Amino acid sequence: MPISNVNLMRATAGFSALGVLILLAMVALSFWMLERTRSSTEAVLASRGERSALVDLLSVIQDAETGQRGYLLTGEPRYLEPFEAANTNIEPAFAKLLSKLPPGEPSKAFAKKLKALMDAKLAESTETVNLRREGKSDEALAVVLTDRGKKVMDDIRTLIHDEIAEVEKRFSTSVDDQRESAAYLRMTTIAGGLMIVMAGLGVAWAMRTYTRELVEARSEVQALNAGLEARVKERTADLQRANDEIQRFAYIVSHDLRAPLVNVMGFTSEMQTSLEALEPLTTDPAVLASPAGPAAVAAITTDVPEAISFIRASTRKMDGLINAILKLSREGQRTLNPEAVDLGALFEGIAASAQHRLTETGGELKINHPVPVITSDRLALEQIFGNLVDNALKYRSPARPPVIDVSVQNDRSGWVVIHVRDNGRGIGEEDFERVFDLFRRAGVQNQPGEGIGLAHVRALVRRLGGQISLKSELGTGTTFQVILPRNLREKQEQSSERRG
Amino acid sequence: MNVEGKPVAIIMIEDDEGHARLIERNIRRAGVNNEIIPFTNGTDALNYLFGPDQSGEVSAKKQLLILLDLNLPDMTGIGILEKIKSNVHTKRSPVIVLTTTDDTREIQRCYDLGANVYITKPVDYDNFAHAIRQLGLFFSVMKVPETQ
Repeated sequence: MPISNVNLMRATAGFSALGVLILLAMVALSFWMLERTRSSTEAVLASRGERSALVDLLSVIQDAETGQRGYLLTGEPRYLEPFEAANTNIEPAFAKLLSKLPPGEPSKAFAKKLKALMDAKLAESTETVNLRREGKSDEALAVVLTDRGKKVMDDIRTLIHDEIAEVEKRFSTSVDDQRESAAYLRMTTIAGGLMIVMAGLGVAWAMRTYTRELVEARSEVQALNAGLEARVKERTADLQRANDEIQRFAYIVSHDLRAPLVNVMGFTSEMQTSLEALEPLTTDPAVLASPAGPAAVAAITTDVPEAISFIRASTRKMDGLINAILKLSREGQRTLNPEAVDLGALFEGIAASAQHRLTETGGELKINHPVPVITSDRLALEQIFGNLVDNALKYRSPARPPVIDVSVQNDRSGWVVIHVRDNGRGIGEEDFERVFDLFRRAGVQNQPGEGIGLAHVRALVRRLGGQISLKSELGTGTTFQVILPRNLREKQEQSSERRG
Repeated sequence: MNVEGKPVAIIMIEDDEGHARLIERNIRRAGVNNEIIPFTNGTDALNYLFGPDQSGEVSAKKQLLILLDLNLPDMTGIGILEKIKSNVHTKRSPVIVLTTTDDTREIQRCYDLGANVYITKPVDYDNFAHAIRQLGLFFSVMKVPETQ
């Protein structure tokens, strides 16, 4: 049965709450049971005390009677001793019994009745004893013979025995109660335990179901991931292939374009050497005198050297272009080395290396501090900003000294935005994209160069994970905006993680 | 460049005939008069070096110096270098790689495979001519062992 997170939480919490409730109920029940057991035990103890007090009292009363009888029979005063001792003991024994009697009306009635009987017995026995002491044995005997004492004594005995029977009954009831409580307690404990185990099983079941679901979900995710990884690997391999192809292309270009170039240059030189061999002929009168002479001399002295110089200039230019292509393709192969780069120091360094030309033109390079430290490839950054500053100086306005202004804004989302603003001659809007193309240049072509600077800069910025754009107005100046990740290493890690 | 009176032959494997001619001229200018046997592709060069049976017997007891371009129309110069350096008859013949590539890995690979000298052809002709003349001077003083 599929369960969601919420369901799992509900199930687990429900079962746990149930367990806690059961535990609480068990504790309450146990407490109640214990309380019951305690009161039963107290009742048992009280019953015991009462019973022994009753027995003690009866024994003392009987002692008194025995003493009375002995004295009446013998007239010996030593028999009086137990009688009197018993008589003095009766009060404390009765007091003790009173303290042991359970509270309530029946007890009060019982005590009153017993007290009356005891008083009657005491009166009778004291009377007889006194008569005997006075020597009136017959009278004393007559009192005894009235059976008044015996009857009272029998009543006392019956009363006490009945009370003892009552106490015994209460005692056994208490013991039964206790036993019952213990049984209840045992049963509730067992039942509660079972219920807790069931609640635990419920939690375990919910967890198990959820875990199984998690495992299933995870394996599904893994399967998806594996598919994704395979796809990413495929793409990466495609890209790698494309990249390799470009590298091979650059290699082929470098070789196959250079090889014929060497020939062109080589044989141009050979031609020049041969031309030098012809040199003496230009002053030879015989040659000058011949019909084709002047034309031949002109060819040797001006036409061919001119052709050679054009060929040389062109090959030199072509060589430069090939080198530019090679440089770009090599730059793509260089491994970037992200490190902490203080952009401020970097700009200062660029300003220092441009200082000569700045002084020459009366210009200045302003760095707007503060400038942050970023993690990137130092060499690439130097090339990017060196090139931009170089361009700003190269394409300065002839009307004013160049002012280059470098500022950095720290974007909050992990990027830095760098502006390089100049007051140069500017770039026409139609050329905003074109200037970044290889071998393309904008404006008046009055400066040396192959048109690879900005193409190179853009390739570098892209390699650093950033982008470059420009805003410009002809005759006013140009602002290049370079957006770079603040931490190239993180960015590389992210992309390599994505690559899996 | 002679050992025991036997002439050393320079085997030049260079697909660009213009280059071959320029190399030959500049070597001659350095005063090297040894026979130069040019090949414009790898197959012909290998057939010459190893014979029709590809055993290399034909090159036994010869003194050969091989000038090798890496970019050939039918095979790579690296393959040729590998064959020369692994054949018992030709392995001691000096091989001079003379090519346009200045790729570091390529250079390392050539030396790993046993190339004796690696020279990048300068694009500028004056430097090219100068380098070849230097190479010619080098040829005139170097000792070439006899093949087995």
